[in-house]
Amino acid sequence: MDSHRQWAASSGDRAIRFTGSWREYLPIAATNALLIICTLGVYRFWAAARQRRYLWSRTQLIDDSLEWTGTGREMFFGFLIVVAVLAPFFLFFQFLFPALVARGKAEAAGGIMFLFYIAIIYLGGFARFRALRYRLSRSWWHGIRGGSNDPGWNYGGEYLGRFALSAMTLFIVFPWATTRLWNARWNAMSFGPLEFRSNLDAEGLKGRWALLYAIPIVAILMVAVLGAAGAFARTPGPAPVGLGILFVAILLLFYVAIPLLTLNWYAAYFRNAAEATKLGELEFGFDATTLQWLGLFLGNLALAVVTLGFGITYWGYRNWAFMVRHMHVYGSIDIGDLTQSTTNAPREAEGFADAFDVGAI
Amino acid sequence: MFAGKLYDGVTGHPHEVEVSVDGSALRLSQAGGWSDEVASAQLRRIEGAHGTLRLGRGDRPGWRLVLPLDAAPELQRLLGKEERYGRWIDRVGLVPALVIGGIVTASVVALGYVAPHWIAPHVPMSWERNVGSAIVGDFGDLKCRNPRGQKALEQLVERVSPGATRGPDAIKIAALDVNMFNAAALPGGYIVVFKPAITETDSDALAGILAHEVAHVRRRHVTEALLRELGIGALIRMFAGNLGANAEQLVALSYTRQNEAEADADAIAMLKRAGISPKPTAALFRRLAKESPQFSSQFLQSHPQSAKRAEDFAASFDPKAAYKPALDRDSADALFNLCSKRARS
Repeated sequence: MDSHRQWAASSGDRAIRFTGSWREYLPIAATNALLIICTLGVYRFWAAARQRRYLWSRTQLIDDSLEWTGTGREMFFGFLIVVAVLAPFFLFFQFLFPALVARGKAEAAGGIMFLFYIAIIYLGGFARFRALRYRLSRSWWHGIRGGSNDPGWNYGGEYLGRFALSAMTLFIVFPWATTRLWNARWNAMSFGPLEFRSNLDAEGLKGRWALLYAIPIVAILMVAVLGAAGAFARTPGPAPVGLGILFVAILLLFYVAIPLLTLNWYAAYFRNAAEATKLGELEFGFDATTLQWLGLFLGNLALAVVTLGFGITYWGYRNWAFMVRHMHVYGSIDIGDLTQSTTNAPREAEGFADAFDVGAI
Repeated sequence: MFAGKLYDGVTGHPHEVEVSVDGSALRLSQAGGWSDEVASAQLRRIEGAHGTLRLGRGDRPGWRLVLPLDAAPELQRLLGKEERYGRWIDRVGLVPALVIGGIVTASVVALGYVAPHWIAPHVPMSWERNVGSAIVGDFGDLKCRNPRGQKALEQLVERVSPGATRGPDAIKIAALDVNMFNAAALPGGYIVVFKPAITETDSDALAGILAHEVAHVRRRHVTEALLRELGIGALIRMFAGNLGANAEQLVALSYTRQNEAEADADAIAMLKRAGISPKPTAALFRRLAKESPQFSSQFLQSHPQSAKRAEDFAASFDPKAAYKPALDRDSADALFNLCSKRARS
């Protein structure tokens, strides 16, 4: 009866597996899409809850499936609360800003806009923290849930501070800022009595960031130099050809090089982040390469195009399956020590994250 | 009798239990002699892994009983209906919910777009003036304040719409030192013209533009747009996200297109009454059509295609009419210099 008390990942079988299938998910995807359309979008909260109930239940961790207990109703009310908080704020700025501009007080309008953005960035960080906390509090395994006792107000401040520092250095220190924020977020989270511990650093990420940072700058400089050279040469004949090449180069840069470099950065970021994070004796790994991420996104895109948009309802499914299939869990967990979480389950759902359109992880 | 796995919600430790149905309760027992009963009212069905039946209890968070799916038929009587789409929709059924939802949604959208058209004429001008002056103020440094030029601009409005700049519902016209070819009607009877619309056209074409904006104000199109934006626009953007914003734009634009067509027809009539040739206005639209070739179809645009508008204005030209210039030479010069730095000092 206690045979699964201790579990080691070296046994060959994967500790975390996705067991869903797209056929099984089809009725959920189809009815969700229909109901969202027929309710002017209001149903999307219930749709998200149904989607997660399915995806979590088809995710097997060691000897039990995950379970999602969040409801559409609580997400809907969470959203309404956030709208009630934010709507006056937005309306105020929407009218104040043009009113100041129309009176020729551009400096005052600029100042107000600056304050507005500060508040937005703070709330964006807060939102991300709360979304993670909410999701953990509604995720169960072995009848135990996760959560956090940290309300996230301080995290919002840290997020704002590190964002400001990043901005002031023209985002050169972005890898440091973003890895520290990952740690701050996850170190506040727990599952049952076990606390998440993360010590992610920028080691191994700097090179990829430098590439993403430098290549567009170098490319733009080259274009400028070539353009200037062309202007000085003033050869009347081949100028249009040169312009054409320049145009293609710029297109390639923005639609191929920059997205690929961004994926290249995020692939390494997620691999390192998973490796740096622990839960008790459990360690994590993530093995998706840049090309596999590219495959996921191109697949999503192709699916949407081929199905005339219906495929978008499968994006959440595909993304979750991708994450689980590339995730590894190592080490052991003492089930006897895994007692119920004592954290407060937040009553409001991820309304802020929803409003700011940010993910949780 | 089924073998199941029980999590008690206190620790993550699974207990092997035997499960049987006992009247209206679920009976759990263990080899050691422990047993428990759960009333059917407390039992909840929870989405479990493929091939399993997962139950929870309404009174104990984390209490989970995992059974093989074969147990489902026998336990069905205790479990009641499974929640599928959400409580409200389960109650009425999926198809009726889709139909009702579809009708309500269609009505809300239709009302949200049509109602402003009926309501706008009944909104007191004084309310709109308050909103307008709160938003617009006196334009600060942006406004071109050359008195002679301003007088000429007002004179031009008077030409196309006699009496428009006087009385309680007076149109307040201002030229703004903004480097963009545009003119707009704002809430509260404000009309603004940007500098290039003055310096890069002649006063006859400007008269056509002003007539168009005056028509927007008089027909309460501005109020209508404001109401639509505050009502259905906010609602759709709130719930439907990006997809909704695009959908909203589609419908919103098709409506303003109707307003634009009305304003154009009014403008043509005003020019005719004032004895101003519509040809310069037509030429202006023709020029704009050339400067910004428009790939998308007319349906997607808030302003009817410039080429189409040019035709409408050109078609209203009457070769037998005795057209007079919109402004005399002196006034036209004053208007031209309204926003120039030299004239301001």
